[in-house]
Amino acid sequence: MSPEFSEKIQKKIKEIVARYPQKEAAILPVLHVAQQEFGYISSEEEKQVAGILGVKPIRVREVVTFYTMLNREPVGKYHVQVCSNLSCSLLGAEKLIDYLKQKLGVEPGKTTKDKKFTLSLVECLGACEQAPCMMVNFEYYGNLDKKKIDKILDDLK
Amino acid sequence: MVKIFIDEKSFEVEDGITVFKAAKEAGIAIPHLCYHDAFPPEGSCRMCLVEIEGLPKLELACSTQVRDGMKVFTKSERVVEARKGVLEFLLAEHPLDCPICDKAGDCKLQDYYETYGLFESQFREVKEKREKKAKIGKNLIHDEERCIICKRCVRFLKEVTHTQELGIFERGIHTSVNIYELLPVDNNYSGNLAQICPVGAITDTDFRFKTRSWLLKKGKSICPLCSRGCNISIEYHPGFPHFQVPKKVFRIYSLENPDVNGFWICDLGRYGYSYIDENRLDRIMIKKEEQKIEPTWEQSLQFIAEKIKGLNFLKKTSQIALVLNTWLSNEELFLIHKIFKSDLNVESIFFADRPQSEGDDILLTPERSPNRRGAQEMGLSIQPVKLETLATKTRLLLVFGSSIQDQFSSSDIKKVLDKIETKILFASHSNDLISFFDIVLPTALIAEKGGSLTNVEGRIQKFSPVFEPSGDSLPEWMMLADLGREFGINPSFYEQLKTPEAISIETEKEIPFFREKK
Repeated sequence: MSPEFSEKIQKKIKEIVARYPQKEAAILPVLHVAQQEFGYISSEEEKQVAGILGVKPIRVREVVTFYTMLNREPVGKYHVQVCSNLSCSLLGAEKLIDYLKQKLGVEPGKTTKDKKFTLSLVECLGACEQAPCMMVNFEYYGNLDKKKIDKILDDLK
Repeated sequence: MVKIFIDEKSFEVEDGITVFKAAKEAGIAIPHLCYHDAFPPEGSCRMCLVEIEGLPKLELACSTQVRDGMKVFTKSERVVEARKGVLEFLLAEHPLDCPICDKAGDCKLQDYYETYGLFESQFREVKEKREKKAKIGKNLIHDEERCIICKRCVRFLKEVTHTQELGIFERGIHTSVNIYELLPVDNNYSGNLAQICPVGAITDTDFRFKTRSWLLKKGKSICPLCSRGCNISIEYHPGFPHFQVPKKVFRIYSLENPDVNGFWICDLGRYGYSYIDENRLDRIMIKKEEQKIEPTWEQSLQFIAEKIKGLNFLKKTSQIALVLNTWLSNEELFLIHKIFKSDLNVESIFFADRPQSEGDDILLTPERSPNRRGAQEMGLSIQPVKLETLATKTRLLLVFGSSIQDQFSSSDIKKVLDKIETKILFASHSNDLISFFDIVLPTALIAEKGGSLTNVEGRIQKFSPVFEPSGDSLPEWMMLADLGREFGINPSFYEQLKTPEAISIETEKEIPFFREKK
């Protein structure tokens, strides 16, 4: 079980809730706060968020399972999200994904043993102008090739 | 009011309503799957697309408001094409298991496919395999493959029962309706989910695989299992008389009545129908000592009338006692009031009903009978029956219904009844009491007779027979009218009471409540 929400977080959540006329509307921003705090949203966090907002846990899970940016399992220190959608694929994303799999030694959706990297395939990142692209945590990296990927990952280590 | 044109015909409709409602009022049906009158528009199924002059795209009838002068086309080529497209997408992931689907026959998707379908599928891809029989509630089975994500079930549990057991998880092709962490749908209205599911995604184990919907006949009735008076449709198989297969009720559906039950009924009313077919008393039963009369309606009622006549002649009608119940209709209670209170001054009138139980704040009331209010308004005071009182001076006892056995043990009842000279039971079901009575007369159920009931709020609702009474049974009003005529204080009055309507007219003449509520 994950630790209880700290007082600081609870205060932050209250501020968020106050901005919305309906409690359910605050689910998404509150989940972001929870994810920043715990790294992922398991069913424990779902219940805690639901408890704070006064909604049923099922309503929180609907949101969590809808948005891929919310992690349901722990992720590594760096969450590498590679676009597998049209523009990127046309510009060779498939090969880059294979390269990442080989380099990190994990399949998409999995985390390296040292808990440093999690590799995920995502749909369009909204950055087709710099396809093929990927996101590491909240940083964007575009116009990728193998060399660039090597450099990005090396810098992170 | 605004003037709109639907399919080139003009209609005056209320301002602010949706195109869907306007069309419905005008008698034009617009296909829909997710829309339900009970909920605000959802707009997720895209079946209700219509063309509106001046707008570049097709609009959703369920969520577009009417404007003055609006020209709506519900059957234009563009609309039909669009609906075909919508259906094609819905069916891309929908299994073709209509032959084994309970919903077949009253499935909207099936109906619309018949009307608009592209019968040659363009999809060559393999359909997703999903859970086909997840138990999501006591009586509910969910088939994820059949689900079209209309969210009616989710909205029902959110807006009607507020229990929120179901949610929509994941997205895109993986979207599914499911329960949260194995917590089942658990409320007294869960059966409504199978009824409002427009496809066969939620089916009811009470009905599943037992029959086909097109074999069933339907009849409007009123649920008698509490005092709300929910409007219901009794769906039954007529049976095969030639092979001595009797009719059988298969399910109860709710009918819409905004003043009483809205769109819903509770599970108690939905699943509690076995009493209609099971353990029915089909014949008149005469005890050995009374063998001089034959078990016919004529002789039995004449026998009772003679007993009443005798006691009346001796001015000993105080020795008559009645045990009533509030399953009796307004008309029957009126006749009882008229015969026994007005004509004969009988004072020992008691009631024995099923014991009250828990109600809820949606529909279910604590009473477990439909016409308590009717009995009160009739001027009958609902005194519970006391065995000691019955035992003291009664010579003729008429018992309607068998609920005294819910309150007293059979041996206690027998002890008391043994002291009473003549005792008559009017009962719909066979039970332990039958052997204690001299004559047992089989009675019809609400579903088998006509009349009216007064619900807990004082609303009078008429009902008609859905099917013939079981075996030899007759409605109580018919027996009471016969009795009234036979014992002869005012035979011409009872002579004319040949229908529940005729009795109803007399009720309205004599009892102000029924006149005012008319």
